Amino acid sequence: MPMGLASRMAANDGIQFCVFDSRRGQQEGQEIDKILFFFPPDSPFSAQLSVVGLSGGIITFTRLFSPDAACEVIEEERHSHVFYQAEPDIWMILIVEKNRDTESVWRCDALRDILKEVHSLFTMFNGPLQTLLDKQPSGELARSCLYTFITDYLTDFHVGKKIQMPSFRDCLKERRTVQMLTVSREMAIEVQSLANVIRSSSGSIACKSLILFQDLLVATMLSPGDTANMFAYAVLRLTPHALSSNTRSWSYLRRGVSASNVTESATLLNAGSRTEEYPHGSRDTSPGRHSQRNYIPRPLQRDKWSKGKDGFLVSDVRDEVHITPIVWLQETEEHMYLCVYQHRNLTIILLIPVSSLIDGEQGIALVKKQLLENASEKIAYVEEKISKGWGGENAYHVSGYRYLLVDSDRSISRASPPGKVTTLAKDSFLALNKLREEVDLEKARASREKPDHEHNFEMCIRAKNNAWIIAKIAQGRELYMVLEKANETLLYASEAVEKFSNRYCDGAFSLD
Amino acid sequence: MSGKASSDQSQVALNGSGALSHVYIQHPPLRCNVPGIQGLYYDDGNKLLLAPSSDQVLSWKVGTSTQLDPPSSDFVGEGPVLSIRYSLDGKLIGIQRSNHEIQFKNRETGGTFSQRCKPDSESILGFIWTDCPSCDVILIKTSGIDLLSYEPDLNTFRLAETKRLSVSWYVYTHESRMVLLASGMQCTIFSGFQFSSAGIVRLPKFEMAMVKAEANHKPVLTAEDIHIVTIYGRIYCLQCDRVGMRLNVYRFYRDAVVQQGTIPIYSTRVAVSVIDNVLLVHQVDAKVVILYDIFLDCLSPISAPLPLLLRGTSVNNRQALQVEDNLTSAYNAMIYGDNWIFLVPDLICDSDNGLLWRIFLDLEAIAASSSDVPSVLEFLQRRRSDPSKIKMLCLTIIRAIMLERRPISIITKAIDVLVISYAHLVKMDNVIHGADRNSKRNQNSGSQSTTTSIVASAEFSGETMNRGKSITGVENESQRSTIRNLEDANVNYAEKSNSKASFNSLSDLDGDRNHDVMRSNSGELVGNSSSTDLLSSDAMKDINRSTSLQDSSYLKQPSVQSEGLACSSSRSDACVSNQQETQFTNVAISPDEMYDSIFASVEEELGGDPAYLIAVIIEFLRCSTKEKLRVHPNIYKLIIQILVRTSSYSELALFVTNKILEPSKEVALQLLEQGHQNSQIRKLGMDMLRHLSLHHDFVTVLLQDGYYLEALRYARKQKVITVHPSLFLEAAVAANNSQHLAAVLRFFSDFTPSFKITSDYNRYHMILSEMS
Repeated sequence: MPMGLASRMAANDGIQFCVFDSRRGQQEGQEIDKILFFFPPDSPFSAQLSVVGLSGGIITFTRLFSPDAACEVIEEERHSHVFYQAEPDIWMILIVEKNRDTESVWRCDALRDILKEVHSLFTMFNGPLQTLLDKQPSGELARSCLYTFITDYLTDFHVGKKIQMPSFRDCLKERRTVQMLTVSREMAIEVQSLANVIRSSSGSIACKSLILFQDLLVATMLSPGDTANMFAYAVLRLTPHALSSNTRSWSYLRRGVSASNVTESATLLNAGSRTEEYPHGSRDTSPGRHSQRNYIPRPLQRDKWSKGKDGFLVSDVRDEVHITPIVWLQETEEHMYLCVYQHRNLTIILLIPVSSLIDGEQGIALVKKQLLENASEKIAYVEEKISKGWGGENAYHVSGYRYLLVDSDRSISRASPPGKVTTLAKDSFLALNKLREEVDLEKARASREKPDHEHNFEMCIRAKNNAWIIAKIAQGRELYMVLEKANETLLYASEAVEKFSNRYCDGAFSLD
Repeated sequence: MSGKASSDQSQVALNGSGALSHVYIQHPPLRCNVPGIQGLYYDDGNKLLLAPSSDQVLSWKVGTSTQLDPPSSDFVGEGPVLSIRYSLDGKLIGIQRSNHEIQFKNRETGGTFSQRCKPDSESILGFIWTDCPSCDVILIKTSGIDLLSYEPDLNTFRLAETKRLSVSWYVYTHESRMVLLASGMQCTIFSGFQFSSAGIVRLPKFEMAMVKAEANHKPVLTAEDIHIVTIYGRIYCLQCDRVGMRLNVYRFYRDAVVQQGTIPIYSTRVAVSVIDNVLLVHQVDAKVVILYDIFLDCLSPISAPLPLLLRGTSVNNRQALQVEDNLTSAYNAMIYGDNWIFLVPDLICDSDNGLLWRIFLDLEAIAASSSDVPSVLEFLQRRRSDPSKIKMLCLTIIRAIMLERRPISIITKAIDVLVISYAHLVKMDNVIHGADRNSKRNQNSGSQSTTTSIVASAEFSGETMNRGKSITGVENESQRSTIRNLEDANVNYAEKSNSKASFNSLSDLDGDRNHDVMRSNSGELVGNSSSTDLLSSDAMKDINRSTSLQDSSYLKQPSVQSEGLACSSSRSDACVSNQQETQFTNVAISPDEMYDSIFASVEEELGGDPAYLIAVIIEFLRCSTKEKLRVHPNIYKLIIQILVRTSSYSELALFVTNKILEPSKEVALQLLEQGHQNSQIRKLGMDMLRHLSLHHDFVTVLLQDGYYLEALRYARKQKVITVHPSLFLEAAVAANNSQHLAAVLRFFSDFTPSFKITSDYNRYHMILSEMS
């Protein structure tokens, strides 16, 4: 690792983020062509190249021993490099700086989840990167899409002027999972009935919908993977909470953290620097110029969505015409129009196959009209009923416990409410973070040895502050727990888990 | 019944019978054209058609059969006959000989006696037999009514009571037990009495409205203009206003008569029939009939005016059409002829030709004439005449609209109708069974005569709360059934038919309910259950005072019973034929039948659109849940199959975790079975097994999947000893893990007594030593 890279990075936000295509730029002197995205964008090319070069080298090297799963992480004294193979030839690297202070402790899998999330969200709106590259081999389309998308995505991690990656304090959260609202059977049927009304009013069998209440999922017709992506997006940008926080942060963003004027700066930077140093013919279409000719959607742009008068959220208005965003579903490999209707706390995401509407925006307008006619009464009813039965943000708090429950098969998680989690001592967090790292390793090892077998195991440690830190894996479900005010004995701790499992997990963790 | 057969049938059913009509009379008519008879009389109390000849009277029982039994005859001696009625127990015959004399004859002894009036000051308008406790015959005279009580020993009548009032003419139907006495210049002022087994109710005097034709000409109301009809157990009166060309509809409450509105008429002569609680207004001059269903007090017609059809009986449809053609040409002139007399409630007597026609509703045609499916289903669910046929029709309609892919909103409403109807039946059934038990107890203690009958109009929802307060109790059913018991000499059978065929309840149960109603309505507890009748009347006043004219206090009759009453003389017959049907079928469609006849059978035909079927089933579940009906696990299994077939795994997972599919062993096993394609679904099935504490099955499934150590731990924890040790051992051998095998072997040696002496132990011990 050349020291130069680290020293230059220190001046930045403490992270580097790189996406590269290992097949491109094979000839000497053209290595820069590998790079599809680099953050910070103003890094000199030498620095970019050194990251890509190192990563590519390590990947090639580790493949010698482990052809299927190459390098996952490099730990340096002052940096962690987290690798993610997003597509067969597409790699994403996140480099985070280890500060002297103790706050920069994290779990590599949590960081990798960020890479996964960026990639899956990107794929949802733009399709797989490889497809973009195939469509336009020069890579400019892919670059400009990635540039706006990832930069918009990273605005969510801004704390002050710095980018703050998730740390050990976030170990009772699981990215890329869905948080569900628990409803009674009666309510579930009502919701399902509403989903059917929505589907039928769209006039197409292939329509799909998701229903959210506040930031919780109530019903979905998508596969777990697509659901997780759509849910993540909704919570980031669509739910009432997301909408209001967008408007609140508006003025702050305007002042300069490059969020709203990403495209402009990209134009300057990329067009300027690259044409200077690498005057290739193909470079003529720089992202900036391209974006002026071709419309590049920026679904993650803050303040993108606003609620229209008819209850539908609107995103892009160009030439006074609404442009409905299009998403790409992994499961069916279909392009869908994304329509969002919001009534108070209820957000309804309606996905209409692009292929089913011949007349585009007009057709969507008709579907919207029908939805309002057929379903608005029912939507109001369901919203009211759920609101009445909703226990508030601490609804899923279990006193005495701080927990995280993950159903990895279905990409669902539930955790103690954030307000309650923050009451934990730092030692507890650190211990849990450590424990989770161990569990991650154990899980990875077990699934390498016996891929088709469910692995059940349990870990329990006593932290410095005498808190019990427990992890229990059973039949694909994971339970992490911190008991700070627990008794001395391990027996007490395991009874506490048993009690929790029986009451809140249908006994899923009390198998033995 | 198979889906295929019924769908073929449905083609025919929904198309109706070819000719456009909703109401028909069936050929051949009942024939009673015996030579020498002097007119035909209808005794609606006994459902007898009476034909006096020179010195005797022939009587036909008009039952539900299509043919009349041979008439029985009674010798009555010579003399003019103005009207003739048999007593309700059939022991006496009353014949009005003149305006001043009625002759009575005891059929057993042959003795006769006469009842006369003062020839100069009054004349007899008619008489009726009653089952009112205080009298047997009511004599209606121009000067008032006499209540006469029969003295069998003296073979004469004793005057029980006289009510003085001037009477121009009267109308009476036995069905309603209601007599309306007209007086006044235009005969528009009415007094009303109801003589039921529960006692006598006197209605307040009321006046009917008439439109004036010209300034000086005031029309006079005649008896033919007044029709008393009993619909859904409520008593209505239809007054024909020939000048205004309309029927005024009045409904009778205990203490009030309320005009409900008007029905326009298109003929100066109208007749009224009630068939299965559907009101038929025959526009005689126009030769069409218009149908009304006034269940919701809605006076708009349910059909366009259409002619009355004469229908042949042939089974074959084409042949039937031909026959119909022939018949139409033969009888066309006869339909709505001048000689037609409309009898209460559903008969037409052709007095000239001695023919008796029964009117039928063509429910298929009515159903086919409207596109508003939910209303059609509501209409059908209110019908009681031919339960199995109506049920079939409803199922056919639902299936048809599903196959047509009507919008979910329509299907939802249609399903709601059926489910709600069934839910009512279930609720009522509980009540009836309760009453049944009570009435048995009553009979055992021989207390029938002391229990006043509170009639349960069990059928119709909104009214059930008020049944305790109903005063009609037209017949003391248990007395009646006792009589029948004697006749049939079959106590058990009659008991059954009584409780099932007519939804009657008498008893403390009702008394208790009365108390409850009382408490909730007026906040005070009145009387006690032994004097229900009194209680109810007191209660009535209280409630009326507080709630003015709510439905809580109308006069009413049990709907099903009205059928039973209408043919009381042939009642036992009716019971025989109806008993099985009423016992086993009802128009209401149970969730199981919904599954069998709709969801399961329609699935294949809907093949291309499983989401639609799922949507429909969800609506069905929604409504069933709301009505707290249990749904058969088969429906859940069907949902699982469809969702797995369409790979909608996340929806299925959602359905299971949200318990939309209620957990049960069947559902769990189905999930496991379908989970071969998707381990996630299989896991849901296992979770369900564990959650239902089906530990044995859970352990077995774990073993099947090769999780023998987990299975062993779970078995130990939940103390499952029913799974044979060899299954665990075999799984460990299959995994080819000698350590695990040793552990399992050790486990059973330690925890299962005498395991060491079994052959299993030796066998696996051998295997283990070979492995290591």
